[in-house]
Amino acid sequence: MATYVEAIREGIWEEMERDPAVFCIGEDIGVYGGAFKVTEGFIHHFGSERVIDTPIAESAIVSAAFGASLTGMRPVAEFQFMDFISCAHNQIINMVAKANYRWNAPAPLVLRGPSGGGVSGGPFHSQNPETYYAHTPGLKVICPATARDAKGLIKAAIRDNNPCLFFEHKFLYRRIKEDLPTEDFTVEIGKARLHRDGRHVSVITYAAMVYVAQEAADILAKEGIELEILDLRTVAPLDKEAIANTVKKTNRVIILHEDTKTGGIAGEIAAIINELAFDDLDAPITRIASLDTPVPFSPPLEKFFLPKVEDVVREARRLRSY
Amino acid sequence: MKKTIPKGKSETKSQGAAKHASTRNGASREKYPTQTNPHGIPDYRLEIPNFRTVEEWVDGQFRYKVEGDLSAEPPPLRESKYLNKDQTIEIYRYMLLNRKMEQTLENLFKQQKVIGGVYLGLGQEGCSCASAYALGERDWIGPMIRNQGALLVRGFKPRDVMMQYMAKSGAPTGGRDAGSHFGDVHKRHIAAPISMLGDLIPVLSGVALGARLQGKNIACLTWIGDGGQSTGPTYEGFNFAAVQKLGVILIVENNLWAYSTPVDRQVACRDLADRAIGYGVPGAIVDGTDPNQVYDVSYEAAQRAYAGEGPTLIEAKMMRMRGHAMHDAAAYVPKQYIEYWTKRDPITRMEKYLLAKGWLTEKSSRELIDSVQREIDEDREIAEASPYPEGSTAAERVFCDNTVEIPFLYGGLKLRNIKKQRLAAVSDVAHFR
Repeated sequence: MATYVEAIREGIWEEMERDPAVFCIGEDIGVYGGAFKVTEGFIHHFGSERVIDTPIAESAIVSAAFGASLTGMRPVAEFQFMDFISCAHNQIINMVAKANYRWNAPAPLVLRGPSGGGVSGGPFHSQNPETYYAHTPGLKVICPATARDAKGLIKAAIRDNNPCLFFEHKFLYRRIKEDLPTEDFTVEIGKARLHRDGRHVSVITYAAMVYVAQEAADILAKEGIELEILDLRTVAPLDKEAIANTVKKTNRVIILHEDTKTGGIAGEIAAIINELAFDDLDAPITRIASLDTPVPFSPPLEKFFLPKVEDVVREARRLRSY
Repeated sequence: MKKTIPKGKSETKSQGAAKHASTRNGASREKYPTQTNPHGIPDYRLEIPNFRTVEEWVDGQFRYKVEGDLSAEPPPLRESKYLNKDQTIEIYRYMLLNRKMEQTLENLFKQQKVIGGVYLGLGQEGCSCASAYALGERDWIGPMIRNQGALLVRGFKPRDVMMQYMAKSGAPTGGRDAGSHFGDVHKRHIAAPISMLGDLIPVLSGVALGARLQGKNIACLTWIGDGGQSTGPTYEGFNFAAVQKLGVILIVENNLWAYSTPVDRQVACRDLADRAIGYGVPGAIVDGTDPNQVYDVSYEAAQRAYAGEGPTLIEAKMMRMRGHAMHDAAAYVPKQYIEYWTKRDPITRMEKYLLAKGWLTEKSSRELIDSVQREIDEDREIAEASPYPEGSTAAERVFCDNTVEIPFLYGGLKLRNIKKQRLAAVSDVAHFR
């Protein structure tokens, strides 16, 4: 059994063993093994040349990763928390994302780190900044919900020829575990996963919210309402086909995410449903997301801020009887 | 690696200083001793003018004026410790190519054949060309908008730059980006700049890091203005290079103006080279209009890079002789500056130097200028003939296809002090819960 965090670590470790182009760069990833211990033990095995502790300078980390990728390396750069991705925003959206388009310079790098709330991390250690980057052409944005997907997707991201932003969910790091395949495997970027089969209402979601939907599904099952849960796994590119298929099947859809509501990816997904499956809808598309506020610190405040199981239960009942 | 750049360059510059002992051209340290600034930074200039830009109100109008004496005649060029006759003439030719290319760009702009603005490096050609010339084939550059001469030294043609400005399909970016915003990973090793300033400095640090992971200490030359060096990525990137001892050569082109803002409003220090002390790296000050000074410090910085001794910060002092871009008449620049720096035009000084040394004659000088003009004219024709790109190609190449093999530029991972270990079973890694 491997936890979500172990799965990520195994994935990076195996890729570093498999491919000499891969190296890790970030803050406190060496002797300390990273703030969440994703790279624990790496420096002893791979050495400080391939596990590079940097100054506290996110813009330099991303740029150095990009520069190294120009020479054929495949860097895996860590943000201590994904909230700090904002410090490197310019480099990501202007330097990295546009490089292949502008001057035919592929940027095979991975930018990864913990995102998400539910741990009372406060406004700067709990955010879900993925949608800023899903909006930028040239980036792939990955948000796994299971240990298997976390491992398969980090390996796929490392092997990908494009900049991949890998949003780990810190709430899941040590809360979920599962048996992983013993053989080498990857999970295709851009493909959703049917987390739960159901006939009545679809919940399209990703990352930690998959488990909120799952709890709601268990409650609703006792009332005879079957939830179908589609785990997107990647936010860019979106699996439009899978989105359309689940809507065509259940005709009722909730889009659930932990990111705040306004401008969140749910709006984009709703538009895709409108374009691809409007005639299949039997009820209005429903969005459930965090409040349009900063992520508050105190547990009762954060609980109020985040989407809850009862929100999904309530909306699913409403849609079922619409 | 294949020998690909630059055209006509008969030798790489990476063979170490010893080679140059025999090619010294009579430089005398006694004749031109090197001074140091108040903080101990070597200053190779042959004149150290004392002036600053101050503000004044005249008839209710705010304007800048010069405080200090700018009446001196320009000194000769410093003798290079390393350059021989042929190399010096080649640098001069690149400078001419740079100047004439930009004159052509100005004409094309006036004929409305250019899309958008044109940025000129007038007065800065010596700095761009001589510094880039100090590098070897496997080294990298990261140019700024006024370093178009460096692009030529690294092997791009004037037509490439012209087509960039005219947004043509034949341009290196095929019309996807403008002006000097282009690069070349595999052949010429040029990182394409973006408009945000200072951002290439950490990127070039990363290039040097990638090369070192492959067992090669390379030199990565990039430039920043007195304005651009104010940005955060400048500090982040250069500090990273300093910490990691990466061979980044940062030339701060102090051209006195950041768009319309005088350097006196950009920084409180007198010499930007003083920043080197804070980074813990060697610094130097040169006259940016003296290609010999620029070449020598760049060359020495490259040797440090090859030896794994880390980055070097060079401040090149000069003047941006036109506005920020073609639309800007630079009316805010006091006339005295224009007069003073016009006398220090790098091309005029270089020509005078070459004639005085007998390395060029009036006749061979004219022939050189004519041959450059012919090249420019030919390239202009080719550039103008290139069609615009097909609109529908805008949708292509947002991503790199995963079937593309991305090769190592420097032969692949080569670690120096890491004990080779067998793959431990992943489950043996110390786990945690």
